Amino acid sequence: MGAPRLSRRQFVLGSATALAAATARPRAARAQTRRGQIIAGLSERMLTLDPANHYSISSTSVLRHVYDPLLDVTNDDKFVPALAESWKPINNTTWRFVLRRGVRFHDGTPFTADSVVFTLKRVRDNTKLIKSFVYQDIEDVRKDDDVTVTVTTKRPFGSLPAHLTMLGMLPATAGGNEDAFFTKPVGTGPFRFTSWTHGDHVELEANPGYWRASVPKVDKLTFRFIPELSTRAAALRAGEIHVIDRVWPDMVSTLKATSGIKVHDVPAVEAQRWHFQLARDAGKDPRVRKAVSLAIDRNTIIKELLLGYARPVVSPVPPGLIGHTNLGQKPYDPDRARAILKQAGHQNLTLDFVLMKDLYPKQLEIAQAVAAMLGDVGIKVNIRNLEIATAREQRTAGNYDLFFSGWAHMPHDPDWYFGQWFTKAGAEKMTRFNDPRVEQLIAEGRVPDPKVRQQKYEEIQKILWEDEPEIWPYYSVAIYAVSDKLRNFEARRDYYVLLHEVGIA
Amino acid sequence: MRAYLVRRLWQSAVTLVGVSILVFVILRVIPGDPAKMLLPEGAPQAAVEALNRHLGLREPLWIQYGLFLRSVVQGDFGQSFQYRSPALRVVIERVPATVQLTLTAMALTVLAGVPLGVLAAVRQRTGWDYASTVLAVLGQSLPNFWLGIMLALLFGVTLRWLPTSGFGGWPSLVLPSITLAAFPTALVARLTRSSLIEILGQEYIRTGRAKGLGEPRVVLRHALRNAMIPLLTVLGLQIGTLLGGAVITESIFAWPGMGKLVVDAIFFRDFPVVQTILILSATIFVVINLLVDVLYTVLDPRIRYG
Repeated sequence: MGAPRLSRRQFVLGSATALAAATARPRAARAQTRRGQIIAGLSERMLTLDPANHYSISSTSVLRHVYDPLLDVTNDDKFVPALAESWKPINNTTWRFVLRRGVRFHDGTPFTADSVVFTLKRVRDNTKLIKSFVYQDIEDVRKDDDVTVTVTTKRPFGSLPAHLTMLGMLPATAGGNEDAFFTKPVGTGPFRFTSWTHGDHVELEANPGYWRASVPKVDKLTFRFIPELSTRAAALRAGEIHVIDRVWPDMVSTLKATSGIKVHDVPAVEAQRWHFQLARDAGKDPRVRKAVSLAIDRNTIIKELLLGYARPVVSPVPPGLIGHTNLGQKPYDPDRARAILKQAGHQNLTLDFVLMKDLYPKQLEIAQAVAAMLGDVGIKVNIRNLEIATAREQRTAGNYDLFFSGWAHMPHDPDWYFGQWFTKAGAEKMTRFNDPRVEQLIAEGRVPDPKVRQQKYEEIQKILWEDEPEIWPYYSVAIYAVSDKLRNFEARRDYYVLLHEVGIA
Repeated sequence: MRAYLVRRLWQSAVTLVGVSILVFVILRVIPGDPAKMLLPEGAPQAAVEALNRHLGLREPLWIQYGLFLRSVVQGDFGQSFQYRSPALRVVIERVPATVQLTLTAMALTVLAGVPLGVLAAVRQRTGWDYASTVLAVLGQSLPNFWLGIMLALLFGVTLRWLPTSGFGGWPSLVLPSITLAAFPTALVARLTRSSLIEILGQEYIRTGRAKGLGEPRVVLRHALRNAMIPLLTVLGLQIGTLLGGAVITESIFAWPGMGKLVVDAIFFRDFPVVQTILILSATIFVVINLLVDVLYTVLDPRIRYG
């Protein structure tokens, strides 16, 4: 017997193994920081690549990975540095931002004060941009040096840092040809834009030079747009995607029963608020509003219709946000409601309850339950389930008594909510709310000082809680379902799907 | 034939102008404010007004239509309110998905529907016929959304043979096109059966058999060709409808076609996108109808247009 001979096949196999062993070390080291691909299924289609030109939650979920804002907001509502390392109010109408050094856009150009000046002036001056109206209070944006920017405002703008969490920073060069820029945009975010198949998906790839160490955790991120919840859930259950947003309560049990899938829920930054038309006979009378409030059994709605995926309201501003306070739950007392109505001489009262079709989970069932509850105290309810644009038109025209709606405090700050719904100018074509005391407090609450803001907001809410221009039935809960392969997933209170620090097994 | 074509083309142009006026006016008289749909609920009234002015919606209707017509002639259908980019581009991006789905579903319809119908007709009142009838009844009565979801659950979630939704590659095309083809296949099968049965009773078929032609030749060459006329009409109408979008199928399979686009555009009052799609699909409809009429003359030499 001679020495064992090496066949050609064995030789090739052996060489390949040796080669793999030789290259394994660097690959393994890289793999620790970044590996794999995550595919997310979002409930709305992305509309645009311009971060200043939408208020869409899905578009934000995508674009927040491409562009960084100056400040970020954590899930427990803390404002933390992103592209700004620090910020402070100099006086009631001046903010100063100190920027992070050494950050580069995906095309290599440095992020500087010029980028901030460009981005802020662009959104203020180009009033065609959807976000422009929020920034109209900005007087001037000044570059002090490469890393310092001063923003002056026409009136106190205490919520400016909160709004800036929603505005991605652009390179000043984007101004040359915006159309061209937004077909292949660059930001400073953890992922670079790769492609967008309209109506179907967006692909992003890791930005290896991201300014935060060991972020991102995956090489590639894909967002698929799957508006139908059942389709989104099927794709997750089939293992095609790793995370879905906007799960409705009645889908939770199906998803929980699927192996390999976890359901996450978190109290959202959203309070449901059904507003009265305060210029119509019914809504004008505070006794009617009180009676309606007393006749609604909120806990039953939360428990039976939303299957526990909602929280009882104790003040219009949800917990965690500046201004939140505990004013106690509104009581359910149909007897008192009947007595108040009788005393007020309201017999045969009829309310038009307008819904924006299919907008909120279980809204029609909830409205029907409310109609039955109000019927129980002698108020007849006409449910008018209208297509969204029509419902809004009806609201502007004032053709409703009660309007089913929610308010998500997307900047994690209630100034926008108060300013829109409880000032004369804001509410004019909406609820017709007009209370000079509240208006005054809102103006006083716009200062940067958080202590003053908290105090003013508490005062506002005490007035509103007593006056009840709205019914606050429950705080919403945001529900997500994810594959158990995902590591470090955080269910966001603001409905965004943010995957900066999420890895995959 | 030539005079006929010229007349038909002229009529088509008039139809399209009519459609454009109708679409334009209807969109603007239905309630709903585009700027309000674009801006978040908490936008001040001044911002709503300003945006409506930017969108050109505060001009008198006839001026708006005049401007629209002028730019359409130049190939510009306006900016999509929602997508903030040219409406024609937004629509054209959805064309490949729409065309793929329509053509595949139509191919399935013809390849399954016609043989089923022929089989049922030549094997009348046998098991084949009854089976084909049952299939046809199912195809016509199962709602699209139910069939689609069941197919996705079975072949996507449980068996994992095919993707549950999305656009890309032939595997993703299978379930949506079956879902979409179910109804027209049934329709075509029934139609083929009934018109073939009628024709097989004609005297020239007896003559054919009498002179010794084989049964396949009698059925496929002589009978089927004549049975194709009503079929062609139905197929033409179906293609026209499907090219305008298959809303339910597209929704269930997250298919980025034109159907879902137009429905969303209507909801969001994205006038330029709705106008573009409706005018484009009206054009397609008119052209296909014209083609079908011309095809009749090829299939049936007795039909002549003067």
